[in-house]
Amino acid sequence: MDLELSDDQQMLRDNIRTVLTGACPPSLVRAVHEGTSDGAELWHQVVDLGWPALGIREEAGGVGLGFVEVALLAEELGRAAAPGPLLATISQFVPVLEEFDCIDLLAEVAEGRRSGSLAVAEGSSWGLHSISTVAEVTADGARITGRKDAVLAGSQVDSFAVVARDRTSGQLGVYLVERSAATVIPTGALEPTLGLADVVFDGAPAVVLAAAGVEAALERVLQQATTAMTLHIIGACRRVFELTLDYAKIRVQYDRVIGSFQALKHRFADMYLMVEKANALGYFAAVAIAENDPRRAEASHMAKATAGECQRLLVEDGLQLHGGIGYTWENDLHFWLKRAKAGELLCGSSLHHRSQLAAALGLISEVNV
Amino acid sequence: MKLRFESSVEEFRQEFLAWLADNRPTAEEMAADPAVSSAHCPEWAKRWTKRLFDAGWLVPGWPPERGGRNAGAHETLVYLEEMSRSGVPRTTNPQGLGIVVPSLLDYGTPDQIERYAMPLLHGEITACLGMSEPDAGSDLANLKTRAVRDGDTFVLNGQKVWTSGANYADFCFLFCRTDPDVPKHKGISIILLPMDTPGVTVRPLNEIVHPQHPDLNEVFLTDVVVPAANLVGKLNDGWAMANGSLAHERGMVWLMSVIDMEMGMQQMLELAPSILEALPEQERAVAADDVVRCYIESHAVRCLGYRGFARLVKGGSAPEQALMKLFASASRQRLARVAAEMRGPDALESKPQRSRRVGTLEDYFGIFGSTISAGSSEIQRNIIAEKVLGLPRG
Ligand SMILES: Cc1cc2nc3c(=O)[nH]c(=O)nc-3n(C[C@H](O)[C@H](O)[C@H](O)COP(=O)(O)OP(=O)(O)OC[C@H]3O[C@@H](n4cnc5c(N)ncnc54)[C@H](O)[C@@H]3O)c2cc1C
Repeated sequence: MDLELSDDQQMLRDNIRTVLTGACPPSLVRAVHEGTSDGAELWHQVVDLGWPALGIREEAGGVGLGFVEVALLAEELGRAAAPGPLLATISQFVPVLEEFDCIDLLAEVAEGRRSGSLAVAEGSSWGLHSISTVAEVTADGARITGRKDAVLAGSQVDSFAVVARDRTSGQLGVYLVERSAATVIPTGALEPTLGLADVVFDGAPAVVLAAAGVEAALERVLQQATTAMTLHIIGACRRVFELTLDYAKIRVQYDRVIGSFQALKHRFADMYLMVEKANALGYFAAVAIAENDPRRAEASHMAKATAGECQRLLVEDGLQLHGGIGYTWENDLHFWLKRAKAGELLCGSSLHHRSQLAAALGLISEVNV
Repeated sequence: MKLRFESSVEEFRQEFLAWLADNRPTAEEMAADPAVSSAHCPEWAKRWTKRLFDAGWLVPGWPPERGGRNAGAHETLVYLEEMSRSGVPRTTNPQGLGIVVPSLLDYGTPDQIERYAMPLLHGEITACLGMSEPDAGSDLANLKTRAVRDGDTFVLNGQKVWTSGANYADFCFLFCRTDPDVPKHKGISIILLPMDTPGVTVRPLNEIVHPQHPDLNEVFLTDVVVPAANLVGKLNDGWAMANGSLAHERGMVWLMSVIDMEMGMQQMLELAPSILEALPEQERAVAADDVVRCYIESHAVRCLGYRGFARLVKGGSAPEQALMKLFASASRQRLARVAAEMRGPDALESKPQRSRRVGTLEDYFGIFGSTISAGSSEIQRNIIAEKVLGLPRG
């Protein structure tokens, strides 16, 4: 097992990081937080760079890279607290289109003409068991009725891949609905850069992507979405860590830098360990997905659960060790604190993923969500 | 990034497994005469060491004349994986094979290698590591045991403590002060001390579990005379070599701790269903979550370790070494605690044999050896903060 980035992957990561440093500075994130920008210029830039096409098969005009590279991009987007629909598009929408061989739609995404997100969660559940949104098949497609909660980039994407139940057969299927055909209610005002929204469909016209037999494919999609979110959280946590470490090296109290106090040093060692172990598990899940290894489901549960632990520690210690300055709106720290916290609440909380593991290990009876 | 090793590495694994199946000591053999200390080498272990040496399976990365087969890093990794899983100890003298011999091969004279390293590799003798003293634990450089040059001998006076296996070892890899007038780190040397030299007194220290089989010892040195030729490396160069020795130790330990964690987890998963079954309904999910957390950690330990390994092989620096020492010992401790507390009063059982059975408090207390020794968890945090993260000393 080799969990170290290859030279090519390392180059890609450095390249993404350099671009985001210029294209997504904290001032842009601030502008979105303060409502003076919608971050659209970032989307145009990443489209020009071909990033939405990263994980799309070459046949559809994509770059054809694997899931590890997608995870890398998700991590860097977290590190930059980037606003916009890219994360949802690469980690939720494209995986759906890939699973169901939607070549034309993939080509549109690859060309930057379409962004999208997965509309699956209802209430706070992240899974396929309790879906009540329905699809009615019509002569030229379907009509969707129901409500999806906390859709990632819901107020930013062009379209939704909606998981809904056929009204007559009860079978789960996946349907494409344009955002303009749905009522989008922005939520998550504390972290506006993610564009979270509840999305209401009231007989919305839809294209059928797959009408039945989608469960296994959707599980694979959920694993990808979950693992990308895992790395995204870790990216945000790493940024919190770096900001806090830098601050501890310059902030002087009692005539010495606070980073020389052993009580804080040990907390830094623990934070560092936490980020590194979550990162290692995150990439274990990413490789398991990339190689379609049988451990991919388990690995993605473990990774998201650990990212949850990671954000707890980093948010708490990161904020605490900044003292009063970290408590202010003017300081940038809160962009990453909020991003990391929001990530915990999306794609299933760590509690959800641990309970899935408990069931998979036979420790508790199956949990249906 | 990839999940699997190259097929040539897997073939190496199979080759070793086949050899192991034909050559391993039997369970009966080992049970009849168990190793009771970390420098005790029962007859079966002597024969086993020799067999490993002759077949080039003792230290596969070394050349055949030193018990190896010039194997690469990945091959050594899968070898250690299988060895640790096999239930047969690779050696009953881990400090000797893992620290003392590599240090002697690095810094020793040809004569020292011939008289001390090679017999150890042949299973004929064992060694202990004399670093810690009453006033030199974490602060090793504070050691006071004196070695005074007298003609072509050194005269030793002082005391060591926590010396694992000193009650069985044939010689000690002894750290002592050869120049008291320079800063602490600059006056330390390493000397090979045959344990049967007059003036050496060993007093075993019984431990909190299995007091009937003490492994730790105090070693008192009173006017002990050893040949000057027993000096390892250069005079007053002991501190640099100590860092070398500890590096050997850490290099060996991380993978063992991965496998130990996995085997511990395996045992926990075997125990858990029946224990959970017996719990009141409302306690079950809570206990299950504790088990799940351990399960995740056992994977995290592996992922972190293997990533550090990949970085080392690539020639990079791997902060994972200190992280692994800290994390692996802490997670194994957590696993032991969770299993024992979940099991209830049965966890208080005590068996005469040394063992690491998960679900017992003996297992739990035993684990503290790894959070205290070889640089305690607190010292690892200091190292990470200062050496890896660049926080100032003080
Ligand atoms: C099972 C076992 C086997 C061992 N085998 C050997 C052996 O074979 N040979 C040998 O030479 N030694 C051996 N040791 C000794 C071991 O290396 C020491 O116990 C260890 O270095 C700690 O030293 P100490 O016990 O004196 O504790 P101390 O150094 O006194 O530490 C006491 C506590 O203070 C903490 N502390 C100390 N300094 C600092 C600091 N700067 N910052 C924060 N916290 C600090 C420690 O972490 C610890 O919690 C063994 C120990 C054990 C438990």
